[in-house]
Amino acid sequence: MSKSTQRIKTIAKKEVVEFVRDWRTIVAIIIIPILMFPVLFILFPVLLESEAAELDNKIVNIEIQSNQYPMHLIESFNESYTKLTYVNATFNDSLSLPSTDLDRVRDMEIDAILRLNYTDDIWYYSVIHLSTSESSTEAKNRIISSLIKFENNITELRISEGGLEVDSTLDPLRWDGDMSKADVATEGEQAGLILSLFIPLVLAIWTFSSAIQPSIDMTAGERERGTLEALLGLPCTRNELLLGKWLGVATITGVGVLLQIVGLLFAIGYLASSDFIGIPALSIGAIILIIISIMLFAVMVVALELALAMRSHSVKEAGSILGPAIILIIFPALFTQVINLDGIESFWFSIPVINILLALRELLLDRVIIEHVAIWFVSSVLYASLAAYYAAKQFRREDIVTTLS
Amino acid sequence: MAVDNILLKISSVRKNFNEVIALDNVSFDIKSGEVVGLVGSNGAGKTTLLRLMSGVYRPSSGSVTLGDDTPVHLMRDHLGVVPESTGLYSRLTAWENIRYHSRLYGIDDSVSWKRTLKFAQSLDMEENLSRYTKGFSRGMRQKTALLRALAHGPKVLLLDEPTAGLDITSARTVRSLVEQIKLEGGTVVYSTHQLFEAQQVCDRIIIIHNGNVMADGSPKQLINDNGCETLEEAYVMLTQEKARVRFEDSISDRGLTKIWNKLFRPKTPSLQLNQDVMEDE
Repeated sequence: MSKSTQRIKTIAKKEVVEFVRDWRTIVAIIIIPILMFPVLFILFPVLLESEAAELDNKIVNIEIQSNQYPMHLIESFNESYTKLTYVNATFNDSLSLPSTDLDRVRDMEIDAILRLNYTDDIWYYSVIHLSTSESSTEAKNRIISSLIKFENNITELRISEGGLEVDSTLDPLRWDGDMSKADVATEGEQAGLILSLFIPLVLAIWTFSSAIQPSIDMTAGERERGTLEALLGLPCTRNELLLGKWLGVATITGVGVLLQIVGLLFAIGYLASSDFIGIPALSIGAIILIIISIMLFAVMVVALELALAMRSHSVKEAGSILGPAIILIIFPALFTQVINLDGIESFWFSIPVINILLALRELLLDRVIIEHVAIWFVSSVLYASLAAYYAAKQFRREDIVTTLS
Repeated sequence: MAVDNILLKISSVRKNFNEVIALDNVSFDIKSGEVVGLVGSNGAGKTTLLRLMSGVYRPSSGSVTLGDDTPVHLMRDHLGVVPESTGLYSRLTAWENIRYHSRLYGIDDSVSWKRTLKFAQSLDMEENLSRYTKGFSRGMRQKTALLRALAHGPKVLLLDEPTAGLDITSARTVRSLVEQIKLEGGTVVYSTHQLFEAQQVCDRIIIIHNGNVMADGSPKQLINDNGCETLEEAYVMLTQEKARVRFEDSISDRGLTKIWNKLFRPKTPSLQLNQDVMEDE
């Protein structure tokens, strides 16, 4: 191993060791990435389910105002936890106008009011409710659900009375056989499609965000603490210093991103059946290109963050620059999700950030289109080189030795 | 290159930071085995000069060379530097700090450990080598930084205010170590603004003021040449011109930051107004 390689390795190793000795770092780079998606995808639905169950068991007060009370409708209400009151009424105005009932619903004296008016074989109805109240919304939903059943009954009855067969009249167009068998995409390709929707997004945002803290700590942090001056007096060159620090940040970020993807796949695997998400069918070429694209993205992002942090005089200043800079990744990442890959114009593969995200999406679908690969590879190498050059320029500056204190 | 007869040469060095001239036409040689004191007030240019000697800065003009006229930044293996801030990593132990630098010098761990132990005894630091530097006092930090600078066996040791902020005992220990290095034939450049200390430790004193070398010689020579009774008198005589403020912090403000800082500079009452107020009182 050459002296230079040895020095780069020494710098990177020290950066990683020093960084992980802080327990907060372990939480930030291991615990949070692993738990984030499982918590979001597993606990959140559980919470939603329990809230929904609570609402299902809630007794709601519904008032029915009508000139007639159809039996089918009343029976369907009895199936749920509902307290019904009946008021005989005739209506001259629109049923949707709350008029004297406005305050009663707003004050939650009653959860919802169903108004029915039967005229010329048509049931006219409205539901007076308070959309900002969960009880009122639940009452409205139960009313609508009962009304749908009631409407189906009337429809079926009228079809029968007209001498028609109910089933064929209501459902004259039907899919024959197992719908999933008609899809010619393989399971692996389908898995690739699902993964391509979020892996590039997670990769881009998490790579950028998880590199912020170590980048700042290893540059502006060192500058602020005065450790950089001692380091600059050593025989290692500024480029070796940059490479060592880059390697340190990339290792920490890489571990974080990898763990987050593991957490994400676990959450999806837990939530869905195994045929919802399987192993994407990728060729060796696509896998190699995925690795290359991620590497190029990491070179660019980490070098850029190191450069911006090194330009800063203090940790505070670096944080106020790099924090908002995440928008530069989030917007393109979200934008890329809606770009249609079929017949996509080649120029998209030359735009910074977007090029790598689109490349990942294509490659996860196992689409290796030489023209696209050539464009994103050349443009990414160019952007990564520019970022590395900019970082090297910042590291060569003389004033990085000075501190605010 | 053989560096047995190391001679640090500072030849017509000028160092600018944008429009500010930090050092102007500075020239002197440092012979092997000498302990040289750089004395001057805050902002005189001592730290800039030490950074030039350690290769952290490059001269705007002139040269700083080591041995056979090789630019000093190419000979950093032969230098040991203790910056004013000490520059220790708080999440590493004292020994890990020392080992990290030694490895970057390309020195085997066993070699640097032996040298560290040798000097740690003099500094009474053996027990602290395995401790994290986070809770270290200023004196312990300074001693660790010294051990770190010595672990690779440098030919020249550059110390930037090594006793600043130290208690009497620690300062004395540091000075004793410098004397030990001197006895062993080492070369030391020692920056300080304490005349008493410079007189006690150094063979030769270079007085720097506002970026210029005002005097260069042994303490006795400086006193005699200026017709004074004490070194302090000689120093005051040589540095009569008002000392400038420290300038380095302002050099990095550029572009929008510079404009922004100008716009929002806090207002300070004028000196004239202050005098009026004092007279009224």
